[in-house]
Formats: sequence, structure tokens, C-alpha cells
Amino acid sequence: MEEVFVNMGEIRALARTGVLTTVGLGSCVGVALYDSVAQVGVMGHVFLPTARRRNETVDMPGKYADTAIPALIDEAVRLGAQKRRLWAKLAGGANLFPNLTTSNGNIGSQNIKAVLENLALHDIPVVGQDVSGSHGRKMRFFVEDGRVTVTAIGKEPIDI
Amino acid sequence: MERLDFLRELGNIGIGHATTALSEMLQGKLLRLVVPDARILPFEEAAAYIGGLDEIVAGIFMQISGDVTGHMAFILPIESARTLVELLTQRHGTDEEIFDELGRSALEEIGNIMITSYLNALSALTDLVMSPSIPALAIDMAGAVWESVLAGALVDEAVTIIRTDFSADGVDIGGNIVLLPDEEEFQKIEHALGLEDF
Repeated sequence: MEEVFVNMGEIRALARTGVLTTVGLGSCVGVALYDSVAQVGVMGHVFLPTARRRNETVDMPGKYADTAIPALIDEAVRLGAQKRRLWAKLAGGANLFPNLTTSNGNIGSQNIKAVLENLALHDIPVVGQDVSGSHGRKMRFFVEDGRVTVTAIGKEPIDI
Repeated sequence: MERLDFLRELGNIGIGHATTALSEMLQGKLLRLVVPDARILPFEEAAAYIGGLDEIVAGIFMQISGDVTGHMAFILPIESARTLVELLTQRHGTDEEIFDELGRSALEEIGNIMITSYLNALSALTDLVMSPSIPALAIDMAGAVWESVLAGALVDEAVTIIRTDFSADGVDIGGNIVLLPDEEEFQKIEHALGLEDF
């Protein structure tokens, strides 16, 4: 079975079969969008809520929540999905350094908030999530049936 | 002098300070081995540089304040972290036993020494005042630690990395120092050094 890896800021898509995988989600949020009728899945690996400079988003819309969600939807539709049938599953948004309070705040929770707000703007329901906490995650998205598993170090995978 | 030359010079001085300080802690068991390599990676290439994203690493992360603001991190493979902690605490055992509260605070102190060694080198070279916060430690998947460090510092374009390799008691220790100045702050360093295009 084909496995496609989604690195920081990237967006990847598959139809009918295969796995979209994001390894090592920390403060980033892995976003899986799925249309079960078309069997189309897209995955993003969102790095920050928004770009500090607008031109930043041109090359890599998947880096920022506010540009990633529309780009993910466009990619799903391009592969034959219908927007009204899409749902989302999320993982990540952790704070790996909870003891360090910095001026930039908790990026993980800011990412979760931004992803949820942008999904709501497009009326995409969130049907599963494993977010927050202080540990890294691996997220695997099976495009055949929309199943998403999340694994942390030393733990068995869970279905979300 | 170009920026990479400067970073290598910084790497040389930094590892010099760091090995001296760590050698004292480890009663002379530390040797400097490799001339540091420095690189500035575009964001898109960071994941490839990090490599095995689900291998376990230790990351020590600090905020920097003063004339130049930003963050710094020291990230090393779990095996290297274990060797250093074993040497420092004179204990052996499973990962769970080694990285208990004592082991984690020993690792934070090692990270603190590494990072402040480079920070002091940078201060001396630029005549700018920079002071670190207390260190924070994460032991987790490499991808998760790296992205949390970059995002925590809001660094979303180029990533500045100095490789630091040395040996402790005959065992190779590999690691990376990550420089994460706030936006526009590198210009202050450039200005202090009389560099262009830093």
C-alpha cells in the first residue's frame, strides 16, 4: 500500500487507496479532510496559525492554518471530492516544553484554535481529534475508509 | 567574511567553551573531536536535514533576551543524551531509570552549558549582551521536537544550525545547536560584526 509522507507545511492528497502519514507532530496540527463517497483524502501539516508576511503563503499555503484550510479543500475538490461532504480529523497541537513560558505563548493551542476557526468558516465538521498535551504524535490517514490512527512514543495506536 | 564562515567561527569558539565546561563536570572525560559544520537551511529542507522524524531525541530549549532577542536549542540523539547523563550521574539502567527527575535535570544542565557556551561566544564576538532563560527539556520524536522549537521561536523561513560533535569517554556524541533569533534581530549581529547580507 502506498504511503505518502506529509512534512511541515506540506499538503498531500490520495484517492481510493494508500496512507497519508505525518511523523513527529509536536506543536503542529495534522489535518485530515475526507470525502467518503469519492474516497478522496487530503492531509496538511500546519506549522503556525498565520503568516507574518503575506507573500510567505504563496509558496507553501500549507504552512499556516488560515491558508492551509482553503488549500486543502481545493486539493480535495480537484481530486473529485465535494466540499459539502468533507469532514475533518485533527491531531497534534501539543506543547512539548510546558515548563518554558515564552513571549510567543503556546503555539500548539494557537494552532488548534486557528485550524478549528478556519474549518468552521467552511462548515467542515470535526469528527475526530487527539490534540494538546505535551507529547509528540504520529498520524496515519487511511484513504480507503477514512480511518485515522494516532501513535505516541511507547503507546499503542488509537483510532480517532 | 561570509555568514557561514562566521557561524563556523562561532561554532569553533562555542564548542571550545562547551567542552571545557563539560570536561570539568565530567572530570576530564571529554575530548573535542570534530570541527563544527554550520548551515543555513531553507524551511522546506529542514525536514530532510532532521532525518528519522520518529527517532527519539532530547531537545533543550531556551529563550534569549538582551540586545538580541530570540531562542536557542540544543538537540541530540537519545543515545548521546544517555551517554552524557550516565557519565554525569554515574548511573546505568533503562531509559526510564536514566531519564528520571535527576537524569532530566542533569540533561537540562548539559543543555544549559552547551547553549550558554555558544551564546557567550556570540556575545564576545559581537559585544552584544544576551542572556538565556532557564532551560526546558523535551524527550520525544525528532520531528515533534524540531518543529516545536522552530514554531516556538516563530522561525518559518531559514533555519541556522551548527553541528556539534565530540566524544565523551570514547563515545561519540552528536548534536545540533539551533540559532533562532527573532525576526530582524540577525541584522543587529550583522551590524555588530560589520558583515553584509547576514
